[in-house]
Amino acid sequence: MLELRINGFGGQGSVTLAHLLAQAALENGKQGQALPFFGVERRGAPVRAAVRMSPTTIHAHSQCELPDFVVVMSEKLTEAAVSEGIHENGTVIINAPYAAAFDNYPTWHVDADSIAREAGLFSADGPFINIPLFGAVCRVLNIPQNIMEQTIKNKWPENGKRNLNAAGKAYHTVTQSNKQLAGSR
Amino acid sequence: MKTAQVIMDTGAHAAALAVKSARVDVVPGYPITPQTSIMEAVAAMVENGELHARFIPVEGEHSAMAAAVAASAAGARVFTATSANGLLYMHEVLHMASGGRLPVVMCNVNRGIFAPWTLWADHQDSFAQRDTGWIQYHCSSNQEVYNTILQAFRVAEQINIPVMVNFDGFAISHCLMPLTLPAQEDIDRFLPPYEPGWRLDPAHPSSFSNVTNAAEYAPFREMLSGDILASISLVKQAAQEYKEITGMWDGDTIDTYLLEDAEVVAFAVNSMAAELRLSIDILREQGIKAGLLRPRLYLPFPTEDIINAIPQNAQIMVLDRNYNFGHPGGILASELKSVLFGRRNDLTVKNRVVGIGGIDLTRRFMAEEILSMMEE
Repeated sequence: MLELRINGFGGQGSVTLAHLLAQAALENGKQGQALPFFGVERRGAPVRAAVRMSPTTIHAHSQCELPDFVVVMSEKLTEAAVSEGIHENGTVIINAPYAAAFDNYPTWHVDADSIAREAGLFSADGPFINIPLFGAVCRVLNIPQNIMEQTIKNKWPENGKRNLNAAGKAYHTVTQSNKQLAGSR
Repeated sequence: MKTAQVIMDTGAHAAALAVKSARVDVVPGYPITPQTSIMEAVAAMVENGELHARFIPVEGEHSAMAAAVAASAAGARVFTATSANGLLYMHEVLHMASGGRLPVVMCNVNRGIFAPWTLWADHQDSFAQRDTGWIQYHCSSNQEVYNTILQAFRVAEQINIPVMVNFDGFAISHCLMPLTLPAQEDIDRFLPPYEPGWRLDPAHPSSFSNVTNAAEYAPFREMLSGDILASISLVKQAAQEYKEITGMWDGDTIDTYLLEDAEVVAFAVNSMAAELRLSIDILREQGIKAGLLRPRLYLPFPTEDIINAIPQNAQIMVLDRNYNFGHPGGILASELKSVLFGRRNDLTVKNRVVGIGGIDLTRRFMAEEILSMMEE
């Protein structure tokens, strides 16, 4: 069973990101689970969500305490997110325009803010970074691009073009920041 | 069996889909977190014509259950849902549904009780309704929520007793998981339309639930008590026939995991009992013969099935997500000890209260709890 935790701020779309990843697991022939933690529901508060993927039935119903992957939706949260717990062989995926690597964990970065803005995915509150992050996480998890795209098409059958573009760009531009680390995925 | 459909959905929405599959006639509703998503989904289904039911928005849970009782007495198939303080506010009218022998089905999305306020799951709310005369299921997965609501209607309508289907707030209600939806044709075969034995009908005026004298009252209560016990066989039948029709099985009165050779038996309900399977795997890897017994039914308490299922000389580790105030520990442990006394003196029962107000219950934490209970 693969376990992943999303750390973000309220309003960044972490619930939708968790749902997309769980749906991609099902699309990919596996079982998927998205279990957001609902705290005080307000914009700007730190939020988290658990995502699990498994070839067999998922029985876990807790948050991920030692996940295989930590997805950080804002680089401001990086230290806090990783200190909440990560598996010793875990990987970190950060929304950042530049390499922000850890010494101990394979770390990937993707410029989700710019990708979302360039694709026209933003409102007065800011860019919709969850869509490019979905593309980036799929790439790091080795989920095929066509599965990633099908998941978006299923969710937005009418109007998924900008989402597809943003997720596709992130899929191809997410970069491992510390390639020298052994055991990198 | 017709082709089933697999979708991704939350536990709350799975409940709403079961309401639709059950072709419910009347749904009185009042919102409370974390149940609200069920009522929102059902209201939307009624609004867009997917579900041909009457949705009755009311001003509080006491009225929600009063409307449910009235609609059921008029012969309708009725569903409602609530959580925590909403359930407590209904308490008086719950007795009206059971005493009136009205087969209402209700979801209670488990949430801790105030004060102080909490939004997250524990099991004080449903266990506090023990003496209302409702049958109570407790579910450990989204799929089980869907399956159990259908089984609940069948049992309720066969024996004229209301049924409460409980599951954890957020951990199940807001958890997105794969959900298998059997073909409607198969559901209709499992759950035929409700044919009430009598109904309130203005065209044929009659009265219902008059004041009784003791000689009239006592037999009603005796019948209710006896029929609640007799519902065990209907619960088993419903689970079995549901399996034959849909291929799905969540257990009947109990669900077990690696129990046959277990020396240490974890005993718990709801989502923590699903997670406990992983704790059992951790303990087995350490060479401990651990197993799980999860009562699906809390009421009637599945006494005989528990007594028959637990291996000789086992230590039972009851993990209660509630308090039995006035006693040390939790309510499940008290119930269990009361049925084992004099019947299974070979067993040891140990008890911890954990996960109150939604404290996260991870597989590692519960495995460690069980290890430390073994040291006691």
